[in-house]
Amino acid sequence: MANSAALQQKNLEKIFYPESLAVVGANKVRGTVPADIIFSILKTDFQGIVYPVSPRERFISGIKCHKYIADIVDPVDLAILVFPSSVCHLALEQCGEKGIKSVIIISAGFKEIGGIGLEREKQIKEIADKYDMSFIGPNCLGVINTDPRALLNASFARKMPEEGSIAFLSQSGALCTAVLDYAQAKHIGFSKFVSFGNKADISEIDLLYYLRDDPKTKVILVYLEEISDGPGLMKAAREIISESAKPILALKSGRTMEGASAAASHTGSLAGSDEIVDAAFEQAGIIRCDNIEEMFNIAIAMTYQSLPANNRVAIITNAGGPGVLTTDAAIHEGLQLARFSEETTDIFKKSLPKTANIKNPVDVIGDARADRYHVAVANAMKDENVDGVFVILTPQSMTDIEKIAEEICMVSGHYDKPLYASFMGEADVAAGIDILQRHKIPHYILPESMSKSFARAYQFKQRIGSEMTKAVKFDDVDREKVQSILKTARKNKRKYLPEGEAVEVLKAYGFPIPPGVMVKSEEEAVKMAEKIGFPVVMKVVSDEIVHKFDVKGVVLNIRSAKQTREAYLSIHKNVTEKMPEATVTGIYVAKMVPAGEEVILGVKRDPSFGPVIMFGLGGIFVEIFRDVNFRVAPVDQQTAEEMIINTKSSGMLTGARSRTPRDIATIRTCIQRLSQLAVECPQIKELDINPMIVLDENQGCFVADAKIML
Amino acid sequence: MDNKQIQDRVKKVIANVLKTDVSTISDDANFIFDLGADSMQSMELIAAFEEEFDIEMDEDKALEVQTVSDAVTFISGYFNK
Repeated sequence: MANSAALQQKNLEKIFYPESLAVVGANKVRGTVPADIIFSILKTDFQGIVYPVSPRERFISGIKCHKYIADIVDPVDLAILVFPSSVCHLALEQCGEKGIKSVIIISAGFKEIGGIGLEREKQIKEIADKYDMSFIGPNCLGVINTDPRALLNASFARKMPEEGSIAFLSQSGALCTAVLDYAQAKHIGFSKFVSFGNKADISEIDLLYYLRDDPKTKVILVYLEEISDGPGLMKAAREIISESAKPILALKSGRTMEGASAAASHTGSLAGSDEIVDAAFEQAGIIRCDNIEEMFNIAIAMTYQSLPANNRVAIITNAGGPGVLTTDAAIHEGLQLARFSEETTDIFKKSLPKTANIKNPVDVIGDARADRYHVAVANAMKDENVDGVFVILTPQSMTDIEKIAEEICMVSGHYDKPLYASFMGEADVAAGIDILQRHKIPHYILPESMSKSFARAYQFKQRIGSEMTKAVKFDDVDREKVQSILKTARKNKRKYLPEGEAVEVLKAYGFPIPPGVMVKSEEEAVKMAEKIGFPVVMKVVSDEIVHKFDVKGVVLNIRSAKQTREAYLSIHKNVTEKMPEATVTGIYVAKMVPAGEEVILGVKRDPSFGPVIMFGLGGIFVEIFRDVNFRVAPVDQQTAEEMIINTKSSGMLTGARSRTPRDIATIRTCIQRLSQLAVECPQIKELDINPMIVLDENQGCFVADAKIML
Repeated sequence: MDNKQIQDRVKKVIANVLKTDVSTISDDANFIFDLGADSMQSMELIAAFEEEFDIEMDEDKALEVQTVSDAVTFISGYFNK
């Protein structure tokens, strides 16, 4: 049986804070992983006992080696395995017998090589479970804990990073070394640094929960290559953000559209794996970053400074152009330029030169020295109408760059408001930037990065203040009926439900369906059309035809018995011409829905995240405009509202430019009902409701066409 | 050649390559885990077995030979083919 979450957390504590550790498979050949690991541990003043275990060496760096783990007399908290993968299971078995519960398996040669590697990974997992052991890896760089209580560098990274409040988790070991090098140059410190490799046992989710309770960590960064438990990751992120208010920033590689193009439904073709990751992260509150630089830009903003209370920024600059660029970037990110109070304006009038621009962005003029920057920055920080300050500097001949940097650091320390800086240039401003970075003032080369970081910090602040809502469960649904339809379809090995059955499924889940019936003759068509009442629509029903419009299998707005007969015959004729191999089961006659806005609702099942719900602008151009939003089911009312409002065309529904507002409340309910259907019926692989016709406010909406793939 | 003879010669080869005492090599010792061979030495051992017994070991199969008993089984199997 796999280890429980509680046991995993207990064992993780010993991975980060071991009182004694054994490096199993150590040697003293510098430049090899086993040697570098043990020298890293010894070099960083580890606060516990180190036992090298080596079948051949008698001692390493003056420390006696044990041939086997069993030979160590005292208890060992942590074992670090550096043996080749072919013998890791032997070492792990001995760790288990010795009573070691926490292990880091550095060795490669497991799942990542396929074949025998897969078997080896399965074998070590079984051994770990047998002894209630937890392990990080295999195929990883190791673990670093900068806490002075531990000072553990159990990795083959070149250097121990500075102590800090950022935790970094990475599925890629090689990326870790690059990140450490990048961070060192910018004086970015870490609390914990973990390369978790193949995550055969301890996953990113276990590590996230551990970091939630780690007092040394303020911000968590994760690099992921694949997500094996999407719902678990979302749940963990939500809990961590709401319970500890620690932001989680993620970099997920693989921004491609693979898997999306071959889909049979609109939803399937629009929902690439990356769009789903975007949606899931947003829903869970995880801040998704495009690259390492952006990730650290945002991380330092959130770690070094307080979160902005609101989005009003003051810009202080010694040059007009950069001030305008920063203003543009800020507005683009949805920030506002703060309006200074009368008191601040008066001080600026008195203290700044006549030529200075005292309105936001404040231009302190090219000859500004540290004293003038001090006046502008300190008073902007003091102003109640300001939620954060951006300080811009361009190096001019009279600019005392380092002094200004020191002044900014000093002022920042007096206020509980975020202050970010951008010293533009490279060589001349380098010493100033170094001062800012050492004093934990977030520094950005570009105003765009500065504004984006502020905006993300502000959005996070808003999120932690909002309450989580639960998805509603509708009791009026007929689940049994749907299960029986799906069961029959599966028994008959059908890949999708014909329209009549798709409509029945949606009807059972409370969707508004216009009255309709399937007919098998011209006479029956006329009879039913008259019974339903004109105008009606007629559509072909066939197991082989998914896209009815493509074979001219749909006739709209039929207003008489004569037109019904004509439509019946023309549909049969068109289908025979366009798709002679298709068997026509019948023709579906339904009430023509009154004109309204066309929207699309859909479901797709993602291998990592499960059922995903889509909403957007519908009709036949849905793939061209791609104005759709995704959310992972279950979807609550607030999320359903966001899905509607966040489409670019939401104005068409809300009544922009004197249009009649449409019935958004009913769309919201339909999204939630669809979410329940997707969760309760895992047999449904893909589903499209396109179009759903939305009528005016309080008038409801109708499903005009639906497809369900199994 | 019986298995005992093969085993003695295998142990001698190992002792020679890994520069260790024959008496410390148990019958089922693992080259890496028990005797501390690194990956290069593991390959050297295979080459030394080939030379000692005048045989050729297929590369994939040779990788599966990780212990003294694996080597004895492989070599005796080769002669009994």
